[in-house]
Amino acid sequence: MEDPMAAIRETFFQECEEQLAELESGLIAMENGSAEAETVNAVFRAVHSMKGGAGIFSLDALVRFAHVFETALDKVRSGTLAATPAVLSVFLRAADVLADLVHAARENGKVDEARTAAMVAEFDQINEAGESNASAPKPSAPTAGLFESAPSPDNETRRYWEIRFVPHLELYAKANETAILLRELRRLGEIEVGLDTSRLPELSEMDPEGAYLSWHIKLMADCDEAAIRHVFEFVEDDCELFITPPEEAKGFAPGTVITGDNGFKFEFFPPPEMNELEAETVAETAPAAPPPRESSAPVVKSQAVEAIAAKVESAAAAPVTIRVDLDRVDRMIDLVGELVINEAMLSQRVLEAGIARASGVAMALEELEHLTREIQDSVMAIRAQPVRSVFQRMPRLVREVAAQTGKQVRLLTEGEGTEVDKTVIERIADPLTHMIRNAIDHGLESTEKRIQLGKPAEGTVKLTALHRSGRIVLEVSDDGGGINRARVKQKAIENGVVAPDAQLTDDEIDNLIFLPGFSTAAKISDISGRGVGMDVVRQSVVALGGRISISSRPGQGSTFTLSLPLTLAVLDGMVVSARGHTLIIPLGAIVETLKPRATDVFPLDRDLNVLALRGGYVPMVDVAASLGYCDQFIEPEQSVALLVEGEGGMRAVLLVDAIHGQRQVVIKSLEANYRAVPGIAAATVMGDGRVALILDVDAVVRNARSEAGGRTPEPLALAEAS
Amino acid sequence: MSNALELPTILDLIAAPTLHEAFINRRGQALAVDAGGVQRLGAQCLQVLLAARAAWVADGQRLELENPSEEFSATLELLGATPEDLTHDAQQNGKELAA
Repeated sequence: MEDPMAAIRETFFQECEEQLAELESGLIAMENGSAEAETVNAVFRAVHSMKGGAGIFSLDALVRFAHVFETALDKVRSGTLAATPAVLSVFLRAADVLADLVHAARENGKVDEARTAAMVAEFDQINEAGESNASAPKPSAPTAGLFESAPSPDNETRRYWEIRFVPHLELYAKANETAILLRELRRLGEIEVGLDTSRLPELSEMDPEGAYLSWHIKLMADCDEAAIRHVFEFVEDDCELFITPPEEAKGFAPGTVITGDNGFKFEFFPPPEMNELEAETVAETAPAAPPPRESSAPVVKSQAVEAIAAKVESAAAAPVTIRVDLDRVDRMIDLVGELVINEAMLSQRVLEAGIARASGVAMALEELEHLTREIQDSVMAIRAQPVRSVFQRMPRLVREVAAQTGKQVRLLTEGEGTEVDKTVIERIADPLTHMIRNAIDHGLESTEKRIQLGKPAEGTVKLTALHRSGRIVLEVSDDGGGINRARVKQKAIENGVVAPDAQLTDDEIDNLIFLPGFSTAAKISDISGRGVGMDVVRQSVVALGGRISISSRPGQGSTFTLSLPLTLAVLDGMVVSARGHTLIIPLGAIVETLKPRATDVFPLDRDLNVLALRGGYVPMVDVAASLGYCDQFIEPEQSVALLVEGEGGMRAVLLVDAIHGQRQVVIKSLEANYRAVPGIAAATVMGDGRVALILDVDAVVRNARSEAGGRTPEPLALAEAS
Repeated sequence: MSNALELPTILDLIAAPTLHEAFINRRGQALAVDAGGVQRLGAQCLQVLLAARAAWVADGQRLELENPSEEFSATLELLGATPEDLTHDAQQNGKELAA
């Protein structure tokens, strides 16, 4: 049986991830000046929530650090500590430490205690600095005017906080309760509660779920403002809260009469003497009282939320979200895939039965097809996520790499909201990480060199995401020196990748860096030279059905462009047949289709032809032969040719028997269901129920090109797969 | 013999509209409110009770609070109100009940 506590713990860590992301984006907003008034509160709440949750699971190291962090953030919030760049730099690094503590707690791993201790020491320093710079805590918003009261003669000798609490109706709608808040407040010390009914309307005119009452509370407690704010932590957005510290508090005399607009008068009750009897009552009633917050049962809460939603048409209403186990979504996607296949089968049967296109059946089927497509799109949209989650990891990476290399780096991001399938998101993090490391380590010049060159000392790395023709395009660009082409070519010659006398275009030289084992760095550094070159990045991108390319301008920087499919679950493909086998060729790879003429075909070798095409020559690939379906090569004139383009813009002409049209197919992984087969990207199920293989165009093109170039082709061991 | 209104056990946000309606329906006549079964009192029901008292004062009708439960009295006090704030023309009675 599943441990319920483990599930709650998992939810806590998921929420921590969200809070950490919020914390980081808030701090970055504060750093670059785009922060709003609410940002510092959001940042504080993020840390505070993590502390609270960590406390439940007795994650002491996390609680302790979050507490130190929170204390400093609270000082910023209350204005006693200025959010200077130095302070924000400490906060950002503290966010990294906090993230590490969360991860360590999640994995039951080790934490770098020395780093945590050093961070705490830094906090001590800024806290001290904050205290010496700041004057007395600023009073919160004045309460004058709201409450007219005569100062009590002995208020100077009494030390109490004045709290003015005006709940909004959203507070109640979210299942919060003033009585619970007051009970919490009473834990801090003695309280005197004054009830203000001046805004209470006539019975017949009142909204029973409105919020007309407000409170003026005197708190006799030796605590700080943070402790009081903690009580109101979760309702702060839904109320007005004014806290006046003891030094400035003015007493209000017992018996003060408040007169409302409607003439309704209310008299404050005299301050109760906190005698032993009452103290006992408090002790008795307190445990009987429902525990704060947890008491709000989900049912009540949702009803309340619905009630308020009907009433308040709040434009800023936060979208309602639910957490769903990914397996369930995947199961649904699988089922929708089956539905698409089934629908295609049904169409096929209708066609075979010879039912007229204008018949009711055919028309109903067409509607079914639209509906199926819509369901499929909607289901895919569930899995779509903004790339923000990946982008948010990058600022930390940049900080770390910048610190390691001693370079000053600014990271700019654009298009964080661009959505892409979750599986794609999960798999782009590593390539992006590597590309950004690479951009900082190899792309940007050292600070001294930049200054010499008259560039800004701070280098810029820009990360962009956008949608382009049904794919997601990610760009990593830097304003560094660009690719040192002479050195790249030299290195390529040394490694025997190119002949010493080879004439290469700039583009070709730039793309050499994607070759295996290629690194121009004079020494292998900790940062990007971990034995992983750009070839590994390219491979992982290609494995995702993506392409990577580079453009570089000497002295101005380089841009790596990654183009990936939006989803790995469906694919638009061309249905073709080759020697009786149905194959799918991804539509994205097809440039054009043509009918080759015998005069344009030039044999190069026994099995190798090239096609003259608009003044150039393109290698021709007999798809059936290359996959091992037959030994006999097809006569080019009797075939249909598809000009395809693989990654890096490499082209080839694929020869097939016939084209049967294009359609969207559901991708079924071969690796998961059988095993990886070179030359085949995946499989799908056709309308007639048969399995069709999806061609790995890049592999086929690469093979054709290497054959044409006289190098040993990579073996496409496909005969086994057929 | 005046009308009687027995308060529900839970006087929270959800209960407020019903409570409000109950008072509206009983306007113009003396009313005895029985708080004996109340186990939880929220601010929104309190404001209905306070508005009802004001309405009964305006109507010149008698409003009584009977048998308030310990929980009711304790929360009332916590929220800064007294039984007298909920009754009209029955102060003596209210004080006895509060004791």
